[in-house]
Amino acid sequence: MNFVISGLLTLVAMLGAPLFVVILGAAMLGFYVADIPLTVITIELYRLVDTPMLLALPLFTFAGYLLAESQLSTRLVRLTQVFLGWLPGGLSVVAFVTCAFFTAFTGASGVTIVAVGALLFPALVQAGYREKFSLGLVTTSGSLGLLLAPSLPLILYGVIVQQMDIPNPFSIQELFIAGILPALLMIFLLTAYSIWSNRGAPIERGQFSWAEAKSALYAAKWEIPLPVVILGGIYSGFFAVSEAAAVTAFYVLIVEVVIHREVPYRQLPRVIRESMVMVGGILLILGVSLAFTNFLIDAEVPQALFAWVQLYVDNKIMFLILLNIALLVLGAILDIFSALVIMIPLIVPVALGFGVDPVHLGIIFLANMQIGYFTPPIGMNLFIASYRFKRPITELYSATIPFMFVLLFALAIITYVPEVSLFFLDR
Amino acid sequence: MSFKPVLRFLHHAEDSLLVSALVSMLVMALVQIFLRNFFDAGLLWAESFLRILVLWVAMLGAMVATRESNHIAIDLVSRFLPPRLLKISTLVTYLFSAAICGTVAYFAIEFIQYEYEDETIAFASVPTWICQSIIPIGFAVMAVRFVVHGVLGALR
Repeated sequence: MNFVISGLLTLVAMLGAPLFVVILGAAMLGFYVADIPLTVITIELYRLVDTPMLLALPLFTFAGYLLAESQLSTRLVRLTQVFLGWLPGGLSVVAFVTCAFFTAFTGASGVTIVAVGALLFPALVQAGYREKFSLGLVTTSGSLGLLLAPSLPLILYGVIVQQMDIPNPFSIQELFIAGILPALLMIFLLTAYSIWSNRGAPIERGQFSWAEAKSALYAAKWEIPLPVVILGGIYSGFFAVSEAAAVTAFYVLIVEVVIHREVPYRQLPRVIRESMVMVGGILLILGVSLAFTNFLIDAEVPQALFAWVQLYVDNKIMFLILLNIALLVLGAILDIFSALVIMIPLIVPVALGFGVDPVHLGIIFLANMQIGYFTPPIGMNLFIASYRFKRPITELYSATIPFMFVLLFALAIITYVPEVSLFFLDR
Repeated sequence: MSFKPVLRFLHHAEDSLLVSALVSMLVMALVQIFLRNFFDAGLLWAESFLRILVLWVAMLGAMVATRESNHIAIDLVSRFLPPRLLKISTLVTYLFSAAICGTVAYFAIEFIQYEYEDETIAFASVPTWICQSIIPIGFAVMAVRFVVHGVLGALR
């Protein structure tokens, strides 16, 4: 009977039933088998209320949606263009930095490709970069920045692991700090590749001029304090993460709606609604997965899994290699939120058993997912780019592959050199 | 008697509630930060209120997502199915989803009855059962929507 229901759950999941329904089904089956009354589901869902950190999710997401609606992408490209455009590989650095910033705020939901990529792709081609290279570059950049505060998946990883009562807990701030060097490493390697790949091409470099610098700074004067004050506030611990989220949302609201007037007042309810539908879906998945995680822990599934893995794997390096392979495959077939809620409860106890630091694990996890966004055949950003730039999906496969190898190399460094993530932390 | 205006009114009410949940969240959070930094004070109930708003955003957002068939799903197979099979599979997944949501709603009502009888207070003088009521309401609404979408999809 249980096998029949488990099979049915897997089937409807594959056929496209909402993820929250599938996890609920699994949790209910588990509780039913363990003779626990199903009223417990409500109690577990109500635990969403016991997690103060969650307040940050709707507020940051709203801020991100507002930024995506405004003309920030234009100002940001202009600004980075002046200050970085004259460097070798200038415009590609501009693309990487702008996309990373944008993704950190909007959570790699494809908005980066639509809002920033669409702006940068023609600019790259015009500056003399090959079209295929440019296409690969903007598609790859769509998920760059996932490791930087205040990215939604990073916060989610922290929230889920904090619920698990692990022996060496960490704060979201530590997770944010851990993401900085790995993200810079990725940008550095991608830039190096861009310069090398275009070594013979007649690339126009930007000119630095004080006049343009001043005017670009002036145009972005309201947005420049945003990363400095807010992220500085979080990284230094001056703000709690949820407070920083409230201040960010309020500040962005004032700047884009009242000062720049790029989002009309009457559009506000629509923007709020769209962002809340996305967050609501994710919060509900989180709520039901908390219930499911509890069931897994009660049933001692992670311990059993650890014991099983230990039969075949006896050292940390071997485990990390297998972890990377498993996560890359998962990242390619699942979207990031499904992968997070399904895999974290299972992987974290096993990884801790092999002596992997939970903060380092989070960075490894998200770095894998970042690559999964554009892994053929069904990486989400490939489809978004294919749709946005009106290119066949196969062209995107071949355009992104070189970038994928660069990021796989970065991933290897991030995975096997924990110091890259933990350098600034006292862990 | 037409059904459409009623439905439109309900959808509008649902959207407005979702939007006002975020607005109240933002305002309350800012008020708290302001009071804490300038007066070294805070509203005692604000913290609980804010956290309950998170639950409401979760449920209301998910309700609207169901209305728009906009949920995150794993969905590996359906894009390869021929149209006839796709119709059947959509009907099956939707009815399955409806059954799960309906069951959760049923047990949530039972749970909330206990809370109602216990007269527990969530914050200020707002009873806990009102804060939790969005759970059965949300799941019941989602169950109905899954049935409607499933049947309409199969008939189309």
